[in-house]
This record gives sequence, C-alpha cells and structure tokens, in this order.
Amino acid sequence: MTSLLSIHDLHVSFDTPRGLLQAVRGVDLEVPAGTSVGIVGESGSGKTVLSRAAMGLLQGKNVQRTGTVVFDGKELTALPPDEVRNEFGTGMAMIFQDPMTALNPVRRIGSQISEGLRVRLGLSRADAMKRSAELLALVRIPDPQGMLRKFPNQLSGGMRQRVMIAIAIACNPKLLFADEPTTALDVTVQAQILELLSELRAELGMSMVLVTHDLGVVANHTDIVTVMYAGLVVEQAPTRRLFANMKMPYTEALMKSIPRLDQPSGGRMPMIAGRLPDPTAPEPGCPFAPRCPYVVDKCRSSVPPLVSDGDGHSYRCWLPLGGGI
Amino acid sequence: MAGSGKAHLRSDNDVILSVEDITVEFKAAGGKSVKAVSGISLDLIRGETLAIVGESGCGKSTLGKAILQLPRPTSGSVKFDGRELTALPSEELRNVRPAIQMIFQDPVSSLDPRLTIAKVVEEPLAIWNRGDAAERSRKVDELLNSVGLEPEIVRDRRSYEFSGGQCQRISIARALALEPLLLVCDEPVSALDVSVQAQILNLLQDMKERYGLTLIFISHDLAVVKAVSTRIMVMYLGKICEISGPDDLYARPAHHYTHALVGSVPLPDPNAPRNKATIQGEPPSPVDPPSGCRFRTRCPAATDKCAAEEPQLTEVSPGHYVACHHPR
Amino acid sequence: MRKALARLDLFTKVCAGWLSIVVLLAIVGPYLPFTDPRESDIEAMGVGMFSKGHFLGTDSNGYDLLSNVITGTRLSILIAVVSVGVGGLIGSAIGILSAYRRGKFDYIVSLVFNILLSIPNLVLGLALVAILATSADPNEPVSSNRRVFVILISLTIVIIPILGRIARGATLTWTNREFVTAARSMGMRDREIIMKHIVPNVLPSIYAVGFLAVGVVIVAEGSLSLLGVGITDGISWGSMIARVAGEFTYAPHSMYVPVTALALTVIACNQVGDFLRSQLDKREGKI
Repeated sequence: MTSLLSIHDLHVSFDTPRGLLQAVRGVDLEVPAGTSVGIVGESGSGKTVLSRAAMGLLQGKNVQRTGTVVFDGKELTALPPDEVRNEFGTGMAMIFQDPMTALNPVRRIGSQISEGLRVRLGLSRADAMKRSAELLALVRIPDPQGMLRKFPNQLSGGMRQRVMIAIAIACNPKLLFADEPTTALDVTVQAQILELLSELRAELGMSMVLVTHDLGVVANHTDIVTVMYAGLVVEQAPTRRLFANMKMPYTEALMKSIPRLDQPSGGRMPMIAGRLPDPTAPEPGCPFAPRCPYVVDKCRSSVPPLVSDGDGHSYRCWLPLGGGI
Repeated sequence: MAGSGKAHLRSDNDVILSVEDITVEFKAAGGKSVKAVSGISLDLIRGETLAIVGESGCGKSTLGKAILQLPRPTSGSVKFDGRELTALPSEELRNVRPAIQMIFQDPVSSLDPRLTIAKVVEEPLAIWNRGDAAERSRKVDELLNSVGLEPEIVRDRRSYEFSGGQCQRISIARALALEPLLLVCDEPVSALDVSVQAQILNLLQDMKERYGLTLIFISHDLAVVKAVSTRIMVMYLGKICEISGPDDLYARPAHHYTHALVGSVPLPDPNAPRNKATIQGEPPSPVDPPSGCRFRTRCPAATDKCAAEEPQLTEVSPGHYVACHHPR
Repeated sequence: MRKALARLDLFTKVCAGWLSIVVLLAIVGPYLPFTDPRESDIEAMGVGMFSKGHFLGTDSNGYDLLSNVITGTRLSILIAVVSVGVGGLIGSAIGILSAYRRGKFDYIVSLVFNILLSIPNLVLGLALVAILATSADPNEPVSSNRRVFVILISLTIVIIPILGRIARGATLTWTNREFVTAARSMGMRDREIIMKHIVPNVLPSIYAVGFLAVGVVIVAEGSLSLLGVGITDGISWGSMIARVAGEFTYAPHSMYVPVTALALTVIACNQVGDFLRSQLDKREGKI
C-alpha cells in the first residue's frame, strides 16, 4: 500500500521560559492511502503538536523542528512555507476540537466556506456559494440555503462542527486531520459527527488522521491505531489487533482504567498511579517507567526502541506483554 | 418526559435530602425566561451515590447548585436533614452550609491562585473558627494526606504549580474539611486526562467510605457514572426521563432518550457491533420547549399523546422509574 | 519581590529610577540648597543652560529654571498622586461592589462611568474646574489654595471612572471563577469574599493602570495650567510652561526644561505601568 503521508524521525521542541519543551521526540508515522489512522494519547503525549507539525502549521521563532514529512510524494519539510500552504485545502485539511473558536464570529457561514473555494479552486462568487450549499447538504445540514446566511453564534456546537467539516472538505482534500473533533460535543452529537466522517470518507475516498484521547472512538472508527506517550510512539497496530493483543503496558493500563458501559458497576477501578510526563523534563529511560507496574532497572536507564513484528504491529517496550518477537 | 412525578420518592427514615417540584428560572436574552430546571423531585438516602446524567443544557449543573441554594431556586422545596432550606433566612442558611459541600469541574479555577494550598484547605476551618491555628494546621495536613498529597511538598505552593488532577485532590481536601454529610460533585473528572480520572474516582469512593458521605455526582459521561453510582437519574431539557440503578439502566433502558444515550457511547471494543447514531438532530431551545413530552421531537416512538400530555414518572420494575407514555 | 525586580529590563529599571528621583525631589525639593525659585536674578535674565550660577539657565524674567523645576515637582506630583490615589480608591470601590452585586446598581454605575469616560479628560477637567472654581464675587480672585483644591477634586473625578471601569472588569472576571462559588458554598460572607478573594486578585490590574493614570494627570495638570485655569501663582511644571509660553522665542530653554521634566516622568510612568501590566498577563497566562 502506498503511503499518502510519511513522517520520519520528527522532533518538535519549543523554547519556553520554563525551558526546552520537547513535544515530539522522534516519531515515525505512515498513513496509507484510503485508511483512517487514529492517534491516541493524553496531555503531554505530543499528538496535537504532531498533527500540526505534519501540516506545517507550526511556525514561530521558538519552534525547532527536525525530521521529514512527505505528503503525496512531496517532501513538505524541504519546501518553503508558501508552497506548503498550497497543500492546504486541496491536499491536506484539518478540523479542530473547539467549534466555538474555530469559526470566524463576524463572517457569515457561506462566506467562510466559499473563501477556500474561491482562493484554491478559483471559483466565481456565485459558483462558490452554490458549491457551499452543496457541501452543507453533504454534511447533512437541514436547509443549506438558509444556513449560508447565518453567523456562527446562531449555531449549536454540532452544527458548527459540521460547518467546519464542510469547510475542510470543500476542495476535496486527500487527507483530513481531525484533532479531537468530538471532544467538546455531547455524546449523541459525537456519534452523529463520527458517523458523518465515516460516510464522507467512503464517499470522497479521503484518508483520515483522527487524533483523540478516547479509546472508544478509536476502536470504532479507525483502521490503524498509534498510541503516543511523552512525545514518542509507544505502540502501533491495526485496530483489531491492538485491542486484542496489546504489547505495551501503557496501552494495557489505559484500557483497564477507563470506565466502560459493559463493565459491572460499583467498586474500585484499576488505575495508573503517578502523573503524566512533563515535556520540559523528559525521563532518561522509558517515559512510562515511573508508572509501569512491570518496570525493571533497564527500563529506567535506556529508552526502548520501537520494534516491529513485521506484520504492522510495532511497540516500544523492553518487556512487552505476551513476550517479544 | 416530566419531572413532576413523585412516584420515585421514598419514605425511608434515612432520607437526608428531599427535593420536591424544584424549578429554576433564568432571564435569557430578549426578556424571555428559561426554565433550566422544571419541576424536578428527588431524594437521597444516607450513603447513596446519586448520579445526575444528561447532555449540555439539560440543567444538571443548575440543579446541583440549586440544591445548595446558590442561588435559591425559583420555586419548590429542598429539605435537608429535616430543615427546609428554601425558607431559611440567610444567616441560618449559612449555618447549614458546612454540611453540604461541592466540588467543581474546572480544578484550577476552583482554587484562588493567590493563596497557598495550606491556606486554601484551611479556609473553611478559619471561616467557622474550628480549633486554633495549630489544630487547623494539623487538620490540613491530615486532609492533604488523605487525598494522596504530601503536605510538606504541597503546603506552601500555589494552585498554578499543580496539574489538574492534583488541583482536584486539593479541592476535595477542602470540601472535606468541614466534614459534610453531602458532597455534590459537578463534573469532577470531565476536565481531567483519562488516566487520571480513575485516580480521582477511586479517591472519591475512598473518601465516601472513610467519612460516611452521601454523594451527588453530576456528569455527562455515562461510563464514568456507571462506575461510581448506586442510582442514576437521566435528565433532558430540565426534566427527568428515567431513574434506576446502574445495571438495570444500562441493560434495560426504558426511556428512548436513555436508550439513545447508551447507544451513542463508543465502546472500546472493535469487535462490538457498530452502533448507528440512534437519534438525529439537536436538543430544542430551552426557551421554547416542546409541549407535553420534551423529547418527542426526536423520539422514534412519539405519538399525539406525547404532544398533548406530559408523562409522569411511573415504576416499570422495582426501583426503576420512567417518564414516558410508551416506554420500551 | 526580589525575583520581580530581577526580571526588569534596563529601560524599565531606568524609568523606575527616574520616578524614584522625582518622588524624592517632590518630598525634599524645597529644602535643598538651591536658589530661591521666586528670586529673580536681574543680571542673568534669559541665560542659557550651564551658565554660571544657573545650571539650567533662567527664563526671561531671571528665575532660575533648575530650582523652579525642582520646586514644581512637589505640586505636580502631589496633584497626580492624590487624585489617582483618591480617585482610584473611590473608583475601585464602586467598580468592585457594582460588579460583585450586578443588577440595577451595576447598570447605573456602568452608565455613569461610560458617560464620564466618553468626555475627553481635558474637557471634563476644564468643565469641573470652571464649575468649582467660580467664586461668588467676580472681583475677588480665587485663592491659590482653593485653586489647588479645585484641581485636585476635578482630576479625582476624571480618574474615578477610568480606574473604576478597570476594577469592574477585573471583578467580573474573577467573580466568575469557581473558587468564588466555592467560598459561598462554604458559608463565607460576601464582604469577606470581596476582601479576601476579589480585591487581592483585582489589585494588580488597578495599580498597573494606576501608573498610567498618574502620567495622564500630570499632563492634564500641565494642560490646565497652560490654559490658564490650573496653577497660576503656585509653582508646578504646568505653571512654569504657562508662564513662559508668551516669551518662548526669547529663551526657548525655559520651555524645554519643564516640558522635558514632564515628558520624562510621563514616559517613565507609562513604562512602569506597562511592565506591571505585562507581569499581569503572564500570571493570567498561567491560570
């Protein structure tokens, strides 16, 4: 399978008053064409920085980035920012977590959707508006014509998210980054939006990178799962295989500690002791060592490499669960 | 569905909180009034954990605050430990406050950033003049220890130096300082990372056992709520849909909204059948709610009766009440 | 505090230093062994800077500029500090109470603040001075002390809505924080909540803007004096400027001296106030 997006040895650090913040510490990621890749992680895992860096959205004097990002055959990291920007909308697009702040509050919906169409595809204003209405229908918004004239503050969270999706798919991108797209939404709306994304992917032949902290979302809507912790990829596998056969203790601990509807109620929950990693002070060895129930000395002194079993399942652990390869 | 059913109220001697027909009305933009909470009744037996579950706009947070009289509800009665809170004058209400405490959703905003942690946890003791300075200091250390924090490290720091999970622990320590009977938790783990949530939930369980607390747990997260509660109340647009024990609620949801909620939660199991989103659309505006049953506009089983008549809570199985004309 | 001082950059340090000198001179200035500012040196009228006996020169009437500017510091700074201090106190108290209580009181207070703020500072000051300084007998001039008093009152009133609005805005932010609800749920009385939780958090915003306000008042005093309704027989920077305004071309340095003193002080106030504000943003950023 050809890789639509290839990230190789990406490091991203920020110069902050508190010291060097190492957000991403050497990540390799492949997104095959036509798949949905989930990136799972908590605060400090680096998942959001990863997706922004891959899109080339991180700029600023205090950002240090090394490594390569190859999208659709073009090496984005070697291109100047203007050329990278050409990929936005037509190659890659992104939808964000907070629909409240992602839309411009003083512009009408129609104007916000058609902007991309006019700039990227060169459509006339009338054509762009027509296409915008079609897009709104595509994201299942009732009364698309009426919606074009509305302002973001007149819409609910779910509606705004649909509008954001419409903006993102306006120019038929090959790859959609969805950064926690449903975290700020109610659970019933979340289900609708995720279903919409799956349907759109099938209809438009779009690949997706779904960044989330929710293992339930990942279980049902991704083909491949990547688990991140403290700026590193700690496990990656096709979804079914990951859930059936976890190798990295963090993944197992995470799975056990989330409350589930299909579990009996009451009683104490298994939990992970300790705190999340501090990106300004990374541990010398495996980042999960301070909290791992299976830790040995080797874990604390050296970072395990990411090894693959040759069949798409890679993990980063000296003592993987169920034995190594 | 209606909240104005009292079928679910119990006449146990151990009922410490009894809320009847409570309504909270706000003035919205444009002069219209919104009933965030509309005619709700509930009760609490000592030692229970009642979860109040619902999506945004259902009124659960408002209900929690109204029980604490912050602010006082527009109408209805709140009887706590035998006393009618809504009728108490401010000074006497103030005297009841130590017995009902609250923890909040945003752990960092719950703590005054200018105070040291020791001062934050000590504050309730200082307000009520419990003990002298040395005794209070000892109590602060004891509380910090019981929530899993080391007093020597934590005492002299300020809230912004800590993570969300630690701030929530500090909030819990502060809430327990006055040894309350009832603890209202308003979305206490929603702002925390997943791996930290379990820690805080376990902590609440431990504190409940240790201090003999009764809890009200407000949340939008069904799975979290199932793990910690002994009784669950589902709200929609200011009214009650269903009340039941957790296992029964999830195995046999009688209300169509509950069924949709349960079906919408993604299970972390790729082999489980993919749930299709079971309801479409969005909740209607609380300013102008639908007549009769408020859920009828999105309900697959709605009939004319649902528009004409507001359903009352009725028992469908022991301890399981639902407000629906056509329960599942 | 020490850590805060260490974080100051050079420019801010210089400005803070300048302000300290100015305040010192305001207090001890008239006791220093300089020439009497009201004594006219007939032989050295209009001499330039660095002349013998007159370090900054004299104006066209022979008054020594150095001693005048030092003496003038006292009145200018006094007016600025008192009006910002008293105006700030009153304005903040009203602003905090109105934002905490909300409701009709808040509505009226906002309305009054906004009306006062919509009038340019100088115009408002002028109007107030005109109203308050009118004496019953048109033949009898207003006494010097009364003049100062009137200016103080007028500028205090100008400052009240400025700092009042800042205080109100900050209070609105802080009362929405959950720790205020928590304090109420613990049974803390409103008065205690305001004093122990709201005021300490709102104070930094107020004194940051307070410094900027001091600069505003110094300029306002200067402008009022230049217009002839400020200090006329006392010595302040404004009155110095006013006195030499007519004969500027003859001895230009006599204008430069007070203007420079005024400008430097206002710049210094702005810089320190701005620095305090940026410290505030950093702290807010953490929260």
